Amino acid sequence: MRNTVRELRTARGLSQGQLGEALRVSRQTINAIETERYLPSLPLAIGLARFFGLSVEEVFDVDRNANGA
Amino acid sequence: MSTGTPTVHRVMRSRWLLPAVLVVAGLVYLGAAWAGGKRQLGLEMLGVMVLAAVALLLARRNETVRGFTTADARDERFAHLDLLATAISGTFTICAVIVGFIVDIARGGNGGPYVLLAVIAGVSYIAALVVLRFRS
Repeated sequence: MRNTVRELRTARGLSQGQLGEALRVSRQTINAIETERYLPSLPLAIGLARFFGLSVEEVFDVDRNANGA
Repeated sequence: MSTGTPTVHRVMRSRWLLPAVLVVAGLVYLGAAWAGGKRQLGLEMLGVMVLAAVALLLARRNETVRGFTTADARDERFAHLDLLATAISGTFTICAVIVGFIVDIARGGNGGPYVLLAVIAGVSYIAALVVLRFRS
């Protein structure tokens, strides 16, 4: 699952720790999401999207290559 | 109880909980060893548990240590990793019990404590499945 969290975060001048604090998760969790090692829960994905003022689909996108589609 | 849940959450997220549990466990070990006539062994086990508790307290500033030891419900990834690690640990333990059972039988034993451990594992697994099925 691809996502644009890193781009959105850096565009706003936020550190991973600051974003994690805002979403009440650890810095490591933000890092794991950005590097696509961890797929967030639906509530956290919605929280991320709302934080950036976007829809979930605009932040997360299914990796077509990974699905073979 | 309207105040029970917040209190429980506060205690569960306290950095003192796990160190306290370790010390209490050490005291229980000491009591059991003392009762069994092995006071020195009990004191050594208590010492190990106190050292582990102190190490946890000293390392509490580390985000990873804090995440895994304070039952911090804020971070879903730590909870997820904790669940996976528990499942892996349980699988290894069950495999060890099965191997121990087989070895004991091969040596002419009756399965010793392995049968009881296997029953506990099996029954608790089925019970957990039944309960979780109704909850999710």
